[in-house]
Amino acid sequence: MKKHMVRRIKNWFSSQKLKGKVRYLFLGIIGLYITLFIFIYIFFIRKSMLDYTLESNYNTMISIGNNLNSEISTINSMSKLLTADSNINTYLLKDKPGTRYSHNAITSMYDITNTFNYVSSVYLYRLDGRYVHITNGITIVNQYILDEEEWFREIANARGGYILGVNGRGAFFRKSGKPLVSFMRIINDIETQEPIGLMVINLSDEILNDSYKDMTSNDKQFYYYDKNLKLINQIIDSKLESEIVINNKLFDQKTIGSLWNEKILSYYHIPNTPFIIAGIEKMSYMHIIPSEATWIIVLLIMLTIISLILIGLFISVYITTPIERLVQSMDIAKRGWLRRVSLKLPDDEIGHLKNSYNNMLVAINQLINELLENEKSMQKAELDVLQEQIKPHFLYNTLDTIAYLALKESSEKVYDSIETLGNFYRRFLSKGSKVIPIREEVAIVKDYLKLQKLRYDDIIQDEYDLCEDLLDVHVPKLILQPLVENSIYHGIRLKGEKGLIKITVCQIDDFIHIVVYDSGVGMNKEQLKQIMQDNNKSFGFKGTIERIRYYYGKEDVFEIKSEEGLYTQIDLKIPL
Amino acid sequence: MCKVMIIDDESAIRKLLKITLEKEDLGLDIVGEAASGIEAINTIDNYKPDIAFVDIRMPFMDGIEFSKLAIKRYPRLKIIILTAFNDFEYARDCIGIGVCEYLLKPIAREEIRETLTKLMKEIKMEKKEEEWEEEIEGSSNSIAKIKEYIVINYQNPEINLSSIAQQYGFNPSYLSRMFKNKTGIGLNDFLTQYRMEKAISYAKKGKLMYLTAKEVGIPDPNYFSKCFKKYTGKIYSDYSRSSLFE
Repeated sequence: MKKHMVRRIKNWFSSQKLKGKVRYLFLGIIGLYITLFIFIYIFFIRKSMLDYTLESNYNTMISIGNNLNSEISTINSMSKLLTADSNINTYLLKDKPGTRYSHNAITSMYDITNTFNYVSSVYLYRLDGRYVHITNGITIVNQYILDEEEWFREIANARGGYILGVNGRGAFFRKSGKPLVSFMRIINDIETQEPIGLMVINLSDEILNDSYKDMTSNDKQFYYYDKNLKLINQIIDSKLESEIVINNKLFDQKTIGSLWNEKILSYYHIPNTPFIIAGIEKMSYMHIIPSEATWIIVLLIMLTIISLILIGLFISVYITTPIERLVQSMDIAKRGWLRRVSLKLPDDEIGHLKNSYNNMLVAINQLINELLENEKSMQKAELDVLQEQIKPHFLYNTLDTIAYLALKESSEKVYDSIETLGNFYRRFLSKGSKVIPIREEVAIVKDYLKLQKLRYDDIIQDEYDLCEDLLDVHVPKLILQPLVENSIYHGIRLKGEKGLIKITVCQIDDFIHIVVYDSGVGMNKEQLKQIMQDNNKSFGFKGTIERIRYYYGKEDVFEIKSEEGLYTQIDLKIPL
Repeated sequence: MCKVMIIDDESAIRKLLKITLEKEDLGLDIVGEAASGIEAINTIDNYKPDIAFVDIRMPFMDGIEFSKLAIKRYPRLKIIILTAFNDFEYARDCIGIGVCEYLLKPIAREEIRETLTKLMKEIKMEKKEEEWEEEIEGSSNSIAKIKEYIVINYQNPEINLSSIAQQYGFNPSYLSRMFKNKTGIGLNDFLTQYRMEKAISYAKKGKLMYLTAKEVGIPDPNYFSKCFKKYTGKIYSDYSRSSLFE
């Protein structure tokens, strides 16, 4: 199936025109570039960025914790100033604190807290449940909180230390709904070290927000959880919240989401506090990758595309378009016009191709002309022979001879002669075919000689020595009769004696030899030389030889022997 | 009566023509035949024809050549050229030399009759004006000169009684009679005799007949062999063969 597909694609590609191929090749290269870029991005850049982010996260978390702890230790210092304050101690120690004492205590509390940030309200409890407070905004107080033993014990158990809690662990809440971070401690008598009161410093949630303020960005958000894993200060997407799983590990982080929407979730138990900071960071690679680098990559891709287009244009202008035009011009040859291509093409390989093609056409045209000329001369020679015989001279004289026979001889002889004449002409024209079996050639000669004998008083004697196996070989028609005619008119009749014409067909090596022998007057050397000359009267001979030469494509097709006054012998050598 | 001679190399055609003419019954007398122009030159003086049928295509001396000679020697002789249609170019030459009648082969009786009728009328008119024979006196010492002329020119196939008569200003018939009176042999016979004697000597040397024929002024070997046989009573080849064995 796969192989099949590959083959189909291959076939499709190779069936495309050159232009199309180049186009598809470029598209493929551009696609490959982009794919490669994405691959590099995912598996190298992304991975290193992710590692870097994960590592820096831990540091960020620790630094947030330090920020918070440092603020809280500031608050702790402030609380020590408060516990050491005489007005506050007086208020806590007096059995019956009057308005004056409480007023003094509040003044001290204002004075001391004034210089510190984040203080939302301060509550100072006597052990008898009376209390004074200063506050920023409206804070609702649970009046009976001191009666809750568990709440109080937990603070007392800190033994002069502080504990932290959200909204005073249920003692306070702000009317605005904003959470408060409560700093709570027992106040001991300086001398006896016995608990004399309780102090709660409520801090606004700014203390939490400020601890990570510098670290947040659009892609990075922090959230505080209390020790009950309740979100303290912010609203969070419930779907995202469900992803945040906090356990007992001090620090942990994980990545969620898909490649293009990746988030890193992390949390950190801040030491000395009941708080847990959680961070959600969106991986934004475009931000991680410097924009200069992005520009360079984009530029590189653009350059690549531009250079590909330029190469494409070059190929189109200098290669495919000229080839296309050349092909169009060459297509004319399909319609049978072997005309040369007259295009203006650059003087490169394609120009050379055109020139070679033109040269080839010239050569082909020459060959065709040659062939045509050969064919013409061959046909002319054939026609000459036909004309020579069909011409009325032979026919009319023969007819007169037969007319005489009709008057003087038996009707049998007349019938025989007319039949011979008919046979001769039928074979002679041989249905227009160019080649006929040797058998037919011989038959033509036999009829011809029979008719000539009638005309010339039996001066001719004919003999045949034929190899039966060769008689069905086809030869160009009418190669024998002209030679026999020459034997009569240029050989035997000039001698004034009865003459012999002998036809021999035999095989020697790879040649069929068709030999015409006559015991006529023969030829001297000069006549032998002249026989192949154009102006010779017996053109029957020359035409016949030319036709045989052309038909078999070789020069050496005959041998002529003669002795003056004795004989002439023409030996045609026909290749088997 | 008009005398007719037929000169054609094909005996069948000669015979056909002869039969045709006899059947037409135009008052013609076929006095002689010849199978070639050479034979005709040698025999025409014996026949003295008024009309000659001449085939245009013959070996050794074709119809045109013969006609040229004949017109020169026998100005009153009417020549009818026999030709096949495609010899028309040939036939045009006939007009050039003064022959104005020709017949196309194959022979058509109608045409022959028309042509002959026309010619016979002309001949009748001419015969009224002058007779064929006209006596011209010649000196007897001419005979020796004529003999010498023959000895020198016997190889020329064109010489015959008429040409010699013309040469020496005699009427051919007169010359013939005078020659016979003085020498006891006809002039033509003398010429033939001389040629044959030469031929015999060649034959004895084993020379091929057609070459001997050419050599002695009868280049038509067929006619030569006829003459040879008539003169010697033997066939040339027998003569040359037997002489070779001697």
